[in-house]
Amino acid sequence: VPAPPQARTRPLTIIAQDPSVKADGRILTATVDVPAEELAPGPWGARVHVIDYDASTRTLYKPRKYPGGKGGVPDDPFAGADDRALLADPTFHAQNVYAIVMATLARFERALGRRVSWSFQGHQLKVAPHAFADANAFYSRPDEALLFGYFPGRGGKTVFSCLAHDVVAHETTHALLDGLRERYTDPSSPDQAAFHEGFADVVAVLSVFALRPVVAALLDRRRGRTVRRAHVRPRVLRKSVLLQLGKEMGAELSAVRDRPLRESATLPPSADYLRPDNAEYQEPHRRGQVLVAAMLDAFIRVWAGRLEALGRTALNRDRVVEEGANAADYLLTMAVRALDYSVPVHMEFADFLSALLTADHEIRPDDSTYHFRDHLRASFAAYGVRPSSPGRDGEAGLWLHPKKKPRHDRTHFEAMQRDPDEVFRFIWENRVALDLADDCYSRVLSVRPCLRIGPDGFALRETVAEYMQVLDVEARELGGLGIEKPADMPADTPVRLHGGATLIFDEYGRLKFSINNKLRHPRRQTERLGYLWRYGHFSRGASFQRRFSHLHRLRALNHSFQIWERWT
Amino acid sequence: MATRPGPTGLTVRTYQVGFGDCFLLSFHYPPRRGRGQGRHVLIDFGTTKLGGKRDPKAHMLRIANDIKAVCGGKLTAVVATHRHQDHISGFATQQGKGPGDVIAGLRPEVVIQPWTEHPRARPDARKPPRALTGRQAFVGALQDMHRFAEALLEELQRLSTPALAMSLGASGGPAEGVEGGEGVKAAVGRRMREQLRFLGENNLKNKSAVENLMTLGRRHAYVHYGSRSGLEGLLPGVRVRVLGPPTLEQSAAIAKQRKKDPGEFWHFQATAGRRYAPGGDPLFPEADRYAAPPPQARWFVPRLHAARGDQLLEIVRSLDDAMNNTSVILLFEAGGKRFLFPGDAQVENWSYALKHKAVCKLLEGVDLYKVGHHGSLNATPKTLWGLFKHKSEDEGESGRLRSLVSTLRGKHGSVDRGTEVPRRKLLRELAKHSHCFSTEHLKKGDWYHDEKFELDGPGPGGGV
Repeated sequence: VPAPPQARTRPLTIIAQDPSVKADGRILTATVDVPAEELAPGPWGARVHVIDYDASTRTLYKPRKYPGGKGGVPDDPFAGADDRALLADPTFHAQNVYAIVMATLARFERALGRRVSWSFQGHQLKVAPHAFADANAFYSRPDEALLFGYFPGRGGKTVFSCLAHDVVAHETTHALLDGLRERYTDPSSPDQAAFHEGFADVVAVLSVFALRPVVAALLDRRRGRTVRRAHVRPRVLRKSVLLQLGKEMGAELSAVRDRPLRESATLPPSADYLRPDNAEYQEPHRRGQVLVAAMLDAFIRVWAGRLEALGRTALNRDRVVEEGANAADYLLTMAVRALDYSVPVHMEFADFLSALLTADHEIRPDDSTYHFRDHLRASFAAYGVRPSSPGRDGEAGLWLHPKKKPRHDRTHFEAMQRDPDEVFRFIWENRVALDLADDCYSRVLSVRPCLRIGPDGFALRETVAEYMQVLDVEARELGGLGIEKPADMPADTPVRLHGGATLIFDEYGRLKFSINNKLRHPRRQTERLGYLWRYGHFSRGASFQRRFSHLHRLRALNHSFQIWERWT
Repeated sequence: MATRPGPTGLTVRTYQVGFGDCFLLSFHYPPRRGRGQGRHVLIDFGTTKLGGKRDPKAHMLRIANDIKAVCGGKLTAVVATHRHQDHISGFATQQGKGPGDVIAGLRPEVVIQPWTEHPRARPDARKPPRALTGRQAFVGALQDMHRFAEALLEELQRLSTPALAMSLGASGGPAEGVEGGEGVKAAVGRRMREQLRFLGENNLKNKSAVENLMTLGRRHAYVHYGSRSGLEGLLPGVRVRVLGPPTLEQSAAIAKQRKKDPGEFWHFQATAGRRYAPGGDPLFPEADRYAAPPPQARWFVPRLHAARGDQLLEIVRSLDDAMNNTSVILLFEAGGKRFLFPGDAQVENWSYALKHKAVCKLLEGVDLYKVGHHGSLNATPKTLWGLFKHKSEDEGESGRLRSLVSTLRGKHGSVDRGTEVPRRKLLRELAKHSHCFSTEHLKKGDWYHDEKFELDGPGPGGGV
């Protein structure tokens, strides 16, 4: 008898948002399908190892075993479990974090069309669902881990940050983004400092909206089969869905962090936030809210647009819910894909917008049905973000193709798909065509072949390579590079300049894009140096160990940065 | 009515208190009936890390008796800038024989403290106001900070035990085979433990000192930016302005948005520290637990302890900053000279005062600057330092700015991270542009330093 086929996915129960979000008096749950694997107790799989150790009480909880299940279909041990079981059983908490981390990882892998590595050498991210008694949760690169705290809530009950979907997805995104773009944690510009937080919030919030039970529960408080047209206009959707969830989401967890959805959903469109003289929005977490606000604005525009064709008065409720969840899901996929089309160093919001538009254009050139890209352009413009690139082929914001044709005759197609040395050889041979600084240290950071499936069913094969350049100078030499030295920076201050590019090769190995943040870009480098000098990043010992912990703490305390006043 | 003449001189005595602050300001007035006249203000009276074999209580008693001798048994005022141990520990009493008892015997006319110490702002006051005000909530947060400090020191005990030791296991007994012994690494390293202990202890509530401060003056002034100082009429010819701390309303006015109440954060931290500890209620009473970490967890468990240590340090530093920022900032003006005593005020406290042009104008003329927070990196805002017009690189220039630092290196922050106290970069700047005296300059055996000023200029004018 042939062995039954192995299941490809495993259904697991999770808490849809957090225990405070309820439907019919019960905690709102959802079932997510995560990639099936041979799980050891933990859960402990190929990419995630949940270790339930509590450093405050020095307790290590024993994990649940996950047997194979009947007919090759794995069991979901908490299907239909009551609220008490969900809250009081630490093995459910372990399952909840495992499932959300895996679902987030799977979403990244699906969007990018390849496996996605963590930033560290190992393969398994450690996750501690009850790491310590503290109102904090964070990703720690040196510990290769996500650490979730717990603390007493307002009503006296313990609040577990590991049970908040958006918190788990947020921290997982930090870990994934760190693996994909290791230089984004470098001190650079106010945008780059804000990008990690903002992007993690975007993924967290859209992940929640991509769950149908959540959208259904928030749409309106009635339970009919239809929804009135008046209830799905953009202004009303903002109020009912964004603000309502924003109000509920994170209410108990507000000691862990501010409430990303509430803060961003209530941020009216304005180009003033990102102006250099707006000190409040120079702070990373505040600035990150602008990115989230722009993405949420686009989400509402897309969703409302998709409902236009459904009828004039009463709309089918299930369809409205589905369109909302699909809009969130697609925008989320776009956001993740954009990472491959992003600069490897010195990320700015304008670069991210061009990356969003180009990545989507490559796989789905025709945007005339749902106007995702039009809505994104409009939403970002409303918050003062214009794409870095002027665009081409009649569409604004797309990255340009290389002006000069590179040579391929001294490199080999096969090796170019995976070998950093071969890609470096290509870069070396074409350094003039690629407009590289030729007097500095250069290194290929990654070479990643990927395969994406477009809406037409055809595969889009690409190879994505990143390289960076580094130049060490003294402040007195900046003038020779056209870069202005900050007025009070001593002439002998060592300054490290970074530049680099992401190269996208098509399925024939030809260079499609060189998404370049040039090392010799006097205006951008002058702005960066001015920002870094003012914010004390040149101080000795400026530490980025467990930087996300620190950032979240400042976020929780609503702390104001006035680093320029310090003797750093 | 004849006005009394202003002071002809001022002596600022800086006492050696290790890591702490203690200054005695003696204003000298023209003799009357052949007798010298003086008015004396004690600003802070605290010590930590005195070092050597010196007993802190005996040392502070010696200082108290010196103060008594200098002021002739009568203090005009006591200023307790904020409630950190290194500023108020000396006020503790001991059955009539402690240093705090000596100070109480000097019958100060007024005790000046920040508004956060106002008894009516206390959450445990007998007759609380009808509604919980922001002021009360903030004071509640200060109480929570003390509680967190207590819990931190308890947790520190646990983190000092071997890294792989567990609390009670499933069998109800301690873990087997991981009890440690000599050479076994503690869960958190020595250097971090020292820093945690220092900050934790400095933020413990000193009940005796606090209670003594509540009763030792004839009257009390709980001050904030722009309020009366309480010294009106007590120091003829001397004008005293209060430049900090701002009230919550004043802070909110400059912060633009106050979306969160930090008090809530401290409440969570304080409660968490008390509730979740070995011996307390288990987080999951019915769950199975390991008695010792299995092999697959042994790499991770010590790392999690280290991360916890980092977390605690981060929290207690935030706590320390919050307490520092309740510091009273006083600007004395007499005989055309200005003397600035900001306690441990940091950038956030200073922000409100520095928004006002009139204050900035006044600060330009500062002649003596008591360096904030023992010379830390963020208690002498660069904007403030930039204002001082009497700075000069010429050591011989008359009227050159003088600065006083009461400090002790190696106790706070780290050189590697650029957070050491006193911050070397700041000390270099102070030495270059002012006559800078640090208590670290005192020779072995010396226990105070006097800085003298002649005051014969015109009387003070202007206002905050």
